Amino acid sequence: MSAPTTSGRRAEALSGLRDALPIVLAYAPVGATFGVVAVSSGLPIWMACLLSLAIYSGASQFIFVTLAAALAGPVSMIVTLLLVNLRHALYGATLGRAFARWPEGRKWLGAWGLTDEVFAVLGARITTSAARGEAPERVITPPYHFVLAFAAYAAWVGGTVVGALIGEAVPTQVAAALTYALPALFLALLLNQRPTRPQLAAALLGALIAVAVRQLTTSGVDIVAGAVAGATLGALLAARAERRAAM
Amino acid sequence: MSRTGALVIVILVVGAGTYLLRAVPLALGSRATPAAAVARWLSYVTPATLGALLGPLLLMPEGALLPPWANAALLAAIPTAAVARLSRSLLATIAAGVILYAAIGALLAWVGASQ
Repeated sequence: MSAPTTSGRRAEALSGLRDALPIVLAYAPVGATFGVVAVSSGLPIWMACLLSLAIYSGASQFIFVTLAAALAGPVSMIVTLLLVNLRHALYGATLGRAFARWPEGRKWLGAWGLTDEVFAVLGARITTSAARGEAPERVITPPYHFVLAFAAYAAWVGGTVVGALIGEAVPTQVAAALTYALPALFLALLLNQRPTRPQLAAALLGALIAVAVRQLTTSGVDIVAGAVAGATLGALLAARAERRAAM
Repeated sequence: MSRTGALVIVILVVGAGTYLLRAVPLALGSRATPAAAVARWLSYVTPATLGALLGPLLLMPEGALLPPWANAALLAAIPTAAVARLSRSLLATIAAGVILYAAIGALLAWVGASQ
């Protein structure tokens, strides 16, 4: 970890805030959309807010609303939603090394904020700094991560509260257009870093497998299946390229 | 138990489970340095996950596959990807994406209504 000087910590907190800005701009409208959708599907305002506070995972929250409206049983709801969120286990495993020098308690606190988007931003920061020869544990510091993660969480919960309160006053067309903030953010995170060929192959296979699995089953394993298949293809292609370069 | 009570329990169990899915691998993964092959595999989890999130969002935005010419999410993704590539800015990409998606959706609705 870099020297814990006040100015160093402040600089890291500021870069956390800067990296949080795009996530905040995507989370606030999508969180508000979630609030609008939840309340207009019949959930009480407080329950819409509790979902964002306690689960903090957009996809599974939207699915909760659908399942609750369909009067699904509690056990099948729990199984489905945890399957949808299984992909988060990959994030912690992927980022583990960057948190290696953190005190144990802070690791457990820092894990709270590991959403899809926060994970992608941390992953991009590690990739960019690795290209400059910096070790991951030097760039993901507690001030950086906590500012980034807290700003994102505040935007998500705050957006939900606003959306739930204004409810059906939002024109549905505006709410529908704002939901595109999420795929746009994912596209930006994928393409901003000029992906290599194995990275693009990993993304493409991930997309195809996720779509194929969702066609076959609604169990929620689609994203995990796509992520595992895509990462395996990317790693195999990269290993082959390395072997060829070594010959 | 009331339906509301059951839903609150579902929320709390899924919240706790999701947190453990995030925290346990992070705590374990930070203790050991993975083998080179595992580290390489893990480095492709980010693009693969982004692809897996994008695939269903773009190809089946309403839960089922749509023909490409009637799919505003997919059509808007093409210029949005170009903006991402050229601007290399997350903010510009999100703004362009939302505007393009609204415009293409309105265009498709107008073409559909005039047919």
